[in-house]
Amino acid sequence: MKKVSLWMTVLLVSVFMVSGTTLAGPTMDRIEKNGVIKVGFREGSIPFAFIDAKVGKHVGFSVDMANLLAENLGKRFGKKITIKPFTVTPKTRIPMVVNGTIDAELGSTTYTQKREKVADFSHIFFFSETTFLVAKDANIKTLADLSGKRVGAARATTNLKAVENLAKAGKFKPSAIVVTETHPQGMLSLKSGKIDAYSTDRSLLEGLKMKSPNPENWETVDFAIAYEPYAYIVRSNESDFRDFVNDTILWSIKTGKFFEIYEKWMGPEGLVPLKMSPAYKEYLQMMVYPINDGWWKK
Amino acid sequence: MNLAYEFDWSVLWRDPYGLMLIKGLGMTIFLGSCAWIIAMVVGILVGTLRITKYRTLRFAGTFYVEFFRNIPLLVQMFFWFYAAPMLFGETLSRQINRLDYLAIYVSILGLGLYTASRIAEHLRAGFASIGQDQYQAVLSTGLSQLQMYRYVIIPYALRLAIPPITAEFLTVFKNTSIVMTIGVAELTFQSYQIDADTFHGLEATTGAMLIYLALGMTIVKFMDVIEKKYKIQGLVGR
Repeated sequence: MKKVSLWMTVLLVSVFMVSGTTLAGPTMDRIEKNGVIKVGFREGSIPFAFIDAKVGKHVGFSVDMANLLAENLGKRFGKKITIKPFTVTPKTRIPMVVNGTIDAELGSTTYTQKREKVADFSHIFFFSETTFLVAKDANIKTLADLSGKRVGAARATTNLKAVENLAKAGKFKPSAIVVTETHPQGMLSLKSGKIDAYSTDRSLLEGLKMKSPNPENWETVDFAIAYEPYAYIVRSNESDFRDFVNDTILWSIKTGKFFEIYEKWMGPEGLVPLKMSPAYKEYLQMMVYPINDGWWKK
Repeated sequence: MNLAYEFDWSVLWRDPYGLMLIKGLGMTIFLGSCAWIIAMVVGILVGTLRITKYRTLRFAGTFYVEFFRNIPLLVQMFFWFYAAPMLFGETLSRQINRLDYLAIYVSILGLGLYTASRIAEHLRAGFASIGQDQYQAVLSTGLSQLQMYRYVIIPYALRLAIPPITAEFLTVFKNTSIVMTIGVAELTFQSYQIDADTFHGLEATTGAMLIYLALGMTIVKFMDVIEKKYKIQGLVGR
C-alpha cells in the first residue's frame, strides 16, 4: 500500500512537471483550455489592488479591470473564464509574470524602460506622481524642508530610486533613507515616528492616509519628485494576449466603463478621492482608436 | 515564449555592487557575532535556571524557552521593531523610534534572545546527561550550589553541548537574513537591492549564497578546532 502511494506521488509529481512545461505555451491558448486566467494583485496598493479585510479578497480599480478582462476573454472563448488571484509584491511581480506563475499583473506598476526590457507592458492607464506623505504639523512645503529628515520608501520601487537619485544629486540631504518591504510597513514607520516622510505614488499615499485611523493628521506634499505612468505587466513576445489587454482598456474607455470604475474608487465618493486632471482625461480620450463591439472575437 | 536570460555575473563585483555585497557581509558578521554574545550569556543563564532546585526559577526558565522558541523569528522581529516601542508610552516610544540604529539594535536583541532559548535547551540536554552522582560528588567536596554550577557543571555541560551549539552558531548567522525585513542592510538585503537595480537577481542571489556558504564553512572549521581543544578526555571522540 505504501509502495503504491509512493509511486502515485512520483507519478503525480512527474505529470505536474510535464504539464508544467507544456503549459508554458502561449497564454491565450492556455486560458482557453483551462478557463482560468492567473492574475497577480498587490495586497496594499490602495485603491488599485488591495485586500479588503471585510471580504478577504483583492479589490480595487485594477481588480475591476481584471474582471472586465476576464469577461471579455469569456466572450472570446464562449465560456466562463475565472480569475485565479495571486498576491504579488513589488519585488515578485515581474519575476512571477516572466516565469509564468501568473499571466499578468494588474496593479499599480510604473512603466519604465528598464522593466520593459524584462517583460511587456500594456497601454499606460494612469499617471501618478512620486511624492511624500508627512505629518500635517511637520510643516514640510518644499523638498529642501526634507533635508535632515528621515525618508522612507519601499524596496524595488521607482519611488525609492527617485529618492535615492535626488539625494545622490544633492537636491536634498535626508539624514537617512529607510527601506521598507511594503507600503503598510512604511505607513507604520511613519506613524510610529521612525521616519518623517514616506515616499510613493500620490494615489497610494492618499490611500494609506485614508485607511489610517486619523487621516486628518497626515497630508501629501504639494510638490512631486517624479512622474509615474502605470501599466499592466504581461509576458514578452505574446502580442495576442497583450493586444487583448490593451483592447480591453481602450474599449472600456470608449464605452465609459473605465470612467465608471475610476469614479467608484477615485471619485468624490470613492475610497481615495483623486480628481482626474484635464491632461489625463485628454490622454484617455485621444488614445482610443475606433473599436467596435465584437472586437473580442477571433 | 522567450525565456532566454542573459547572465551578467559582473554584478557581483562591478561598482558599486561589489562593495554592497562586502558591506552586507560585514553587517551579517557583525549582527551574528553580537547576537551570539547575547545568546551565550542569556542562554547559559536560562539553561541553568531550568535545572536549579527552586521551582519558580525553573518555571521562569521554562517559560523563557517556550516563549522564544515557539514564536517564528520573523514575527518576533516585527514585534520588537514595530510593537514593542509602543509599550513605553508616547514620549519614550517616540525617543526609541528616533534612535538612529534602532533596526540594528532590534536585530541583535531579537536574534540574540531567540537563539538564547535554543542554547538553553541544548545546555539542558547537556546537564541531563551528567549523572546525579556527579552533582553529589561536587557537593561533597564542600562547594556551594553556585560554585558547583560555576566551576564544574556548566563547563562540563558546555563541552558536552559543543556539537549542537556549533549548529546554533551557524544558524545565528543564517538567521540574520531575516532582519532585511526591518530594513537592515545585511547580505540578503544587499543582494535584493542589486536585483532591484539590475534585474540580475539570479546572479546576485547566487553570489549571496556562495558567500553564506563560505562563511558557514569557516565557522564549522573554527568550531571543529574548539571542539577538539575542549574535548573531554576519556569520552569517545574523533
